[in-house]
Amino acid sequence: MVISLFTKKLMLFIDSTNFERLLRKLSSEGELFIPVPEEETGKLHLQRVEDFPLPELVTFEGYRMVEPLKAFAQLLRYPVAEYPSPDTDELPEDKKVPAFVIVGARACDIYALELVDKVQVEGEFVDPFYKIRREKMFIIAADCTECGESCFCNLLGNGPWPERGYDLAISKVSGGFLIVAGSEQGEKIVETNGEFFAEPREGLVAARDENRQRVVKKLAENNGDYPSVDGLPELIREHLTADIWDDIAAKCVECGACTNICPTCYCFLLYDQKVDGEHFQRIASWDSCQVTGYARMAGMLNPRPRLTDRVKHRYHHKYDYLVLSHGAVYCTGCGRCIDTCSAGIDMRDAFRKVKAAVAK
Amino acid sequence: MKNPYYPIDTVVEDIITETPTIKTFVLKPAKPIPFRAGQFMQLTVPGEGEAPFTPSSSPSVKERMEITVLRTGKVTDSLHEFKPGAKVGLRGPFGKGYPLEKLEGKEVLIVGGGVGLAPLRSLIYALLENPAKYKRVSIKYGARLPDELCFRRQYEEWSKVAPNVDFTNTIDVEAPGWTGRVGLVTTLLDDLDVNIDQSIALSCGPEIMLKFVTLKLLEVGYKPIQIYLSMNRKMSCGMGKCGRCNVGHYYLCVDGPDMNYDKIKHVPNVFG
Repeated sequence: MVISLFTKKLMLFIDSTNFERLLRKLSSEGELFIPVPEEETGKLHLQRVEDFPLPELVTFEGYRMVEPLKAFAQLLRYPVAEYPSPDTDELPEDKKVPAFVIVGARACDIYALELVDKVQVEGEFVDPFYKIRREKMFIIAADCTECGESCFCNLLGNGPWPERGYDLAISKVSGGFLIVAGSEQGEKIVETNGEFFAEPREGLVAARDENRQRVVKKLAENNGDYPSVDGLPELIREHLTADIWDDIAAKCVECGACTNICPTCYCFLLYDQKVDGEHFQRIASWDSCQVTGYARMAGMLNPRPRLTDRVKHRYHHKYDYLVLSHGAVYCTGCGRCIDTCSAGIDMRDAFRKVKAAVAK
Repeated sequence: MKNPYYPIDTVVEDIITETPTIKTFVLKPAKPIPFRAGQFMQLTVPGEGEAPFTPSSSPSVKERMEITVLRTGKVTDSLHEFKPGAKVGLRGPFGKGYPLEKLEGKEVLIVGGGVGLAPLRSLIYALLENPAKYKRVSIKYGARLPDELCFRRQYEEWSKVAPNVDFTNTIDVEAPGWTGRVGLVTTLLDDLDVNIDQSIALSCGPEIMLKFVTLKLLEVGYKPIQIYLSMNRKMSCGMGKCGRCNVGHYYLCVDGPDMNYDKIKHVPNVFG
């Protein structure tokens, strides 16, 4: 869905059985993805589900999935053009994708989509591939009922439940879910499936709020040693604390995992590949500003030849440049980059180091 | 929905050898592609990929477009092997283009180095179409060696267009048979006779040249806001989406590639 001005938020209750029935109905309208935990770690992955009843492990509790939602809107690798060119610059119908329903999207990822939308859909040029996929997303958000060790949405001023950007949002409560529609499409689903919904019993809203506050408190405890991001854009812009980037770069192994797993990193590489004979395809593929060749030009000119330059660039892009160009910090505090870093680099440490260096 | 990655089929009509390493390609796209001086195109060499080039031709000529290319990498190596009749693709135009409206009534100083005269030639065409709109158009150009001077056939014509237009060039080091000026292009800025308060300077060339031209311009009294530089970064999508052509928080493909120096002067290592 596209973020709309939808403001009506009627709260209803849906019990677990009816919720599964609702998902079953939705699965006939598009590919259904739901969170399934790894048996050993309990970490959630989005899995395509075609058969009902739902697998036993499925859960709508916990915190964000391992995979970022951007992967549904901006594919890892996809063709954008071909040569010789078709006779028209209108995209053929077959480039359109089936609708997909994502269940259990968390606030950090939904906000990340809003941020990437600003780049890919707003402005003079629209990326049609992203836009088509984005419009085909039906998002059922879920409150976080826990937070991970690496979660730090609170430092960014965000929270463990979404305020907008979803079609439906669920909050786990005893016996089922509180559910609200956040878009016209979501409201239509509620209207046409009225038999699944009921007025919330007394006390459920209070229970939901209690859960939310419990997670907020846990986030504050987990991140007690780290400063908030307030003022960080100005600090890193005005104080060129080179030592900090050298320290971080000394640990970095330049694998690019942090940018690939980041829900707001949108950079991509365009390259051409031969299909057959004189027929070529142009491919867009995720790319990472952390690798050497990312910004290299013809003649081997490279504006960021040193790893330190690239590490610093990543932080500046997220916390400085995009604030100036697109009006927001491009980090949602999901903590995936911390989980994935084989060198143990923690973004929160950088905030602490920048703030400490400035305080000196 | 329109696909902005779609390249327009284009034929290479003619190829002009400018220097041993620079060629001008006369391109005829399947449909006219209007552009403003300083905007750039993404040129597809089938199978090799795309590379960004600012047309070197007049923006008033709609059916054809010229790009002037230094042989320096994968795409440009292939291009230099091309013969007339070859097929390429074009996407664009992208970027802002030169701030022509801000040059009206001004003493316009153009400083080019090497193949950097290519985008500036498009600007020169635009300015010289109506030289009376500008108080002065002063073109300074440098190359390393005499046979590396681009568009030599046009220098005389440019300096004769109107009394308020002048062209001076130099080469970096002495060369046999060369009787003109010798010295880096910055030496042409040593005894500038322009009214700096009324002037706007625009420069294009290698980054190292841009750096010293900028320092020189500042030294002789230009303010950062009076200087426009054609910056070099890897521009790929052309639409501010792929992420790699930033100078500070600007994406050159959208905000440039010609940037007002006042906007980027704070960027560390802005000249690489």
